[in-house]
Amino acid sequence: MTSLLIKNGFVFDPLNGVNGEKMDIAVENGKIVEKVNEAEAKIIDASGMVVMPGGVDIHAHIVGAKVNSGRLLRPEDHVKDVEPKTPVTRSGVGYSVPSTFTTGYRYARMGYTTVMDPAMPPLKARHTHEEFNDTPILDKATYPLLGDCWFVLEYLKQDRIEECAAYVAWMLKATKGYAIKLVNPGGLEAWGFGGNVRDIDDPVPNFGITPREIVRGLCKVNTLLNLPHTIHVHTNNLGKPGNYVTTLETMRCVEDLARDGKPVIHITHCQFSAFAGDDWRTFDSGTEPIIKYVNAHSHVTLDMGQVVFTDTTTMTADGPFQFLLYELSGNKWVNSDVETETCSGIVPFQYRRKSFVHSMQWSIAMELALLIQDPWKIFLTTDHPNAGPFTHYPRIISWLMSRKAREKILERVNKKTLRKSLVPTIDREYTLHDIAVVTRAGQAKALGLKSKGHLGIGADADIAIYALNPETTDLSRKPATVRKAFERAAYTIKDGNIVVKNGEVVNAPMGRTFWLNVDAPKAEIEISKILQQKFAEYYTVSYQNYPVPEDYLAVSAPIHVKAEVE
Amino acid sequence: MTVVSNVTCPVCGSLCDDIELVVENNRIVKVRNACAVGEAKFLGFADPHHRRVKPLIRKNGELVEASLDEAIRRSAEILAEACYPLLYGWSSTSTEAIRVGLELAEEVGGVADNTSTVCHGPSILSIQNVGIPTCTLGQIRHRADLVIYWGSNPWNAHPRHLERYTTFTEGRFQKSIWIRYLTKLQGLIGRKKAERAAELVSPRKEAMPQTEKVEGLPPPLKAEERKMIVVDVRKTRSAEIADYFLQVKPNMDYELLQAFRMAIHDRELDVDEVAGVPVELIEEVADVMLKCRFGMLFFGLGLTMTSAKIRNIDAAISLVRELNERTKFTIMPMRGHFNVTGANVVFTWQTGYPYAVDFSQGFPRYNPGETSAVDILARGDLDAALIVASDPVPHFPKKAVENLVKNPLIVIDPQVTPTSFMADVVIPSAFVGIETGGTAYRMDHVPLPLKKVVEPPETCLPDEVILRRILKEVRRLKGMRTA
Amino acid sequence: MTIIKLAPKRAFKTPVNAQTITPDAFQEKTMSEIAELHVWEGNRRRKLGELFHISEEKTAGSESLRIEVSGDLRKVRWIGAKMTTGEIIINGDVGMHLGEEMEGGKITVNGNAEAWLGSMMHGGTIEVKGNAGDYVASAYRGSTRGMNGGKIIIHGNVGNDAGNAMRKGVIIVHGNAGQFAGVNMHDGAILIKGNCEGRMGADMHGGKIVVCGHVKSVLPSFTIEAVRKRVKFEGEPVEGPFYLFLGDLNTKGKGKLFIAKNPNQHLSFYEKLL
Repeated sequence: MTSLLIKNGFVFDPLNGVNGEKMDIAVENGKIVEKVNEAEAKIIDASGMVVMPGGVDIHAHIVGAKVNSGRLLRPEDHVKDVEPKTPVTRSGVGYSVPSTFTTGYRYARMGYTTVMDPAMPPLKARHTHEEFNDTPILDKATYPLLGDCWFVLEYLKQDRIEECAAYVAWMLKATKGYAIKLVNPGGLEAWGFGGNVRDIDDPVPNFGITPREIVRGLCKVNTLLNLPHTIHVHTNNLGKPGNYVTTLETMRCVEDLARDGKPVIHITHCQFSAFAGDDWRTFDSGTEPIIKYVNAHSHVTLDMGQVVFTDTTTMTADGPFQFLLYELSGNKWVNSDVETETCSGIVPFQYRRKSFVHSMQWSIAMELALLIQDPWKIFLTTDHPNAGPFTHYPRIISWLMSRKAREKILERVNKKTLRKSLVPTIDREYTLHDIAVVTRAGQAKALGLKSKGHLGIGADADIAIYALNPETTDLSRKPATVRKAFERAAYTIKDGNIVVKNGEVVNAPMGRTFWLNVDAPKAEIEISKILQQKFAEYYTVSYQNYPVPEDYLAVSAPIHVKAEVE
Repeated sequence: MTVVSNVTCPVCGSLCDDIELVVENNRIVKVRNACAVGEAKFLGFADPHHRRVKPLIRKNGELVEASLDEAIRRSAEILAEACYPLLYGWSSTSTEAIRVGLELAEEVGGVADNTSTVCHGPSILSIQNVGIPTCTLGQIRHRADLVIYWGSNPWNAHPRHLERYTTFTEGRFQKSIWIRYLTKLQGLIGRKKAERAAELVSPRKEAMPQTEKVEGLPPPLKAEERKMIVVDVRKTRSAEIADYFLQVKPNMDYELLQAFRMAIHDRELDVDEVAGVPVELIEEVADVMLKCRFGMLFFGLGLTMTSAKIRNIDAAISLVRELNERTKFTIMPMRGHFNVTGANVVFTWQTGYPYAVDFSQGFPRYNPGETSAVDILARGDLDAALIVASDPVPHFPKKAVENLVKNPLIVIDPQVTPTSFMADVVIPSAFVGIETGGTAYRMDHVPLPLKKVVEPPETCLPDEVILRRILKEVRRLKGMRTA
Repeated sequence: MTIIKLAPKRAFKTPVNAQTITPDAFQEKTMSEIAELHVWEGNRRRKLGELFHISEEKTAGSESLRIEVSGDLRKVRWIGAKMTTGEIIINGDVGMHLGEEMEGGKITVNGNAEAWLGSMMHGGTIEVKGNAGDYVASAYRGSTRGMNGGKIIIHGNVGNDAGNAMRKGVIIVHGNAGQFAGVNMHDGAILIKGNCEGRMGADMHGGKIVVCGHVKSVLPSFTIEAVRKRVKFEGEPVEGPFYLFLGDLNTKGKGKLFIAKNPNQHLSFYEKLL
């Protein structure tokens, strides 16, 4: 493989304490190296440009059963946004639920190189991985939905944490998963009969366990297994007025499980879980107590779930929430329950500036991002495609970096929102360093992906170069310039290969799939006996046909994890 | 002799994955757990009367044996020259092959369509109109206390559906007295248990021994016995074991469904009967639907392919959707070919659309009726066709078949079929799920592995490999053309 | 007036995407520039001049532009798509998507038109002297936004699903209609002077459908409201008497369905409910 030298860029590499200094980045054999032989290396002149690690997305629904049902549901969404075939790329469609190839290309065009799919129904794991195999360029991983698995509920109810840990270890390997995902814990099992749980202490019907016990239990399991990421939680009551209380309680309930000031819980798309008010009429922002709490504690990370005013497709494993959304919107509705494990729902949705609730949602995510002081605690996402398609990230970057850009949005929103929102009072503007944290470094750190999100020696040579000159451009006054630069990377480099040049894909190699090869041998043998016995009772597929074999992954990248459980 | 267990059956959309095969000298000699259809396929697939193992090319009007290279080259030439080739089939092969097939369709600027165009195409169009509340089959086993089969006869079309997933199963929250009764009978009647059981059991449930119904059930399981409703134009075998059978006048399903939507909202109907069913009965059955804890409506081609077509499904899904305002209710199409669901799934993730995808302008375009196989064939829009793992000649309308065989035709199929007799190039392939592995999707979108159990004849490659070679050859030819 | 005449140079086998045949695309172009406009024949990109003879005629008077396309155009699709002005006259039978998403101007077809005629149109007028296929004025797959303005007049018959998800505008059919006229319709008006195969207004939310001929039946989700002597359509009276049904109750719709009384004696039992 050839070597590469990126010269004279303004480098933003927060994990290595580099803040916009002009320096060269050397690449050899797909890794960042100290230096290369200049005579032999391909030189990229990055003078007057920003150089960052490749973008990392901690939470975007890009593949799998639910996403694909969303694609199927929306021909009217695809027809307005098509991608013709080129000599190096496959054709496809957007807009809110792009086809797999298009997803890979569009992320790469924005300088993103690693994306996490956050919701895989374990029974349909093969489907997720098949789609990964058709998602080019990106490195990726997926989180199995474990918060409502019967085995988990039963072990935790009986307080058999170690066996639960062994089961989770087996599941991560069987599904080739990366992290423990909880969605409305307990609520999804209740949805099996059309019910839900009310709060984190409302017992799950037929199982008698509370969401609090599930969250705490899986948090302990996560620690026992030494998993690189924390538990990844979509809270109970998501999308309902007044739910900030549930969110606070969820964060509090694992406070005592934190060690060494390290995060133990990630609250995802927090915007949807930061609502105040008693109903839609009295709807309000519930961000203040959450912001206070997060600013005072170190065991939590969040991502934004920023709303963008556009026509999109909502899709989550939260079946009861999606039903609510269907009832609210009257739009078409897909629900899909998965035996013994989870469920999901899909509803097309349009966020309108003039809607009080929608514009408040826009404001809530902005408040979270701007008022949580430490950028390492909150990451930029739209919960793609729930609050908007990922292709809007550059726009959000421009909002974060520019008060002027935010004011422009506020000029056109619902008048009541203007009165209630805290955003008009906020002066803070993100620096490029902050942006590098919330779009790559912070996300890679939270995920425990050691070779991602930075440009230190030995890191994967995933690099984004943006045609943006921070010395000559007043970034806060030029939001459109910022947005355009982040929309079309001057270069995206993946594992040392140039994959995007001037915003166009020039090469589309297949990226890796990370998964956790968790080492917990003894306990697992015990578990597998029980699993085999109960499997036929619980599932309609054979135990032997359930696990996804490693050769199923186009580029398998197992991460070996040594559990603390024997 | 080796025993291969947990084999997935490559016949229907139920995709039973508990089949056990005994293999001797590269031949399957014994089949356990499969239904009659599955057993016949596993034992009889290699029948030399239905199989030729050498590629064929039509020369001077005659199909003559050719080398694989020659057949692939000829196929690539046909496809590369065509202005509007149709690439059709895909529902009886692996998702791995379909992936390559779509890449080929894109490369040659053709139309890719799968067999859902002639089965559940209307269901998909309807899902795109109104959505669908559905679930995996295990949910039904564990939770459903009401199962409706509408325009579908699982007893004959999906033989183990009742036994593995619905009426004859029991799950965590839903016990079944049927299953116990059947277990008892099992010893007596051996492998044809399900079919014979129905002949022994009287069609109505009242005749069942009542004592077994309440035997030691824990509290959440004391719910009523699972009920079954069949709606069809004629009294099928499935109807005989149902609690309610509604005989709907042919082509009037739409009216009946709309009447049910009225009834579940307690809205008065201006008429006394709808589609041959008295309004009192509609109201009674509507009440059964509302009072269930978890309902499931399965529908088959009896609904998708009659008069109102997509509107039938619009109405059925809307009914189920509205039932969710009062209870839990789900709906699922009964899919036919073992991987027709997989074909929809792969088409969708690669192109955004589940079938009838037109790549002629370099990007995916979708409009069934315009870009669907039957319509393209009926209008004669195509100028070449590739058929993979499908046999349209005996099933398509006469006009469509005429236009299919009038143009250069390539067939990739493990079997000799009426379509392959009419072809210009025939490439025999390995039987997917027996001679080669891969992935298939069950009717509820659960992906399952297909197993390679025996070696294929040396000249029969997997579809995936054949397609990849054609693709490579097409690219070579196109490179030459532009150069 | 400028008249640009087109005629196919040969019979087409594969579909021809001729979105560029619109007054908007032709305007202010020379003949040779028009001949350079691109069209698709199957998967081959062609120039308009390769597929069509093109000639120009100038007449005195206004500066407006008229396109006349003559010949067998059954495989030619999307003529007049998205047009905003001017006039197209088609002499012969024409393929799908004629005038799709049209916003203004006029299209006249001296022949038959295939499916998706005027689908999602916003304005302008389409007049077909012969028959039209399915999905006239309809919304695209999965969408609930059909015709949103303008007028379609069909002198012959139409297929199924005419006016699907229609929101505004007028459709007049002088002949017969297939099933599901006005399905999912929100607003606007449909007049069918001939017979109708039934299921008119299924799941309609609003709007008006008038059928002067025979209908097989009325959906059970409609309720009889009255018998009216006549009904107003585009301000003009249409003589009845008509049964007036309201629905579709399944969508809590407020649509009005007028069915002529005299050709539909089999509906007389509804009268006892009045």
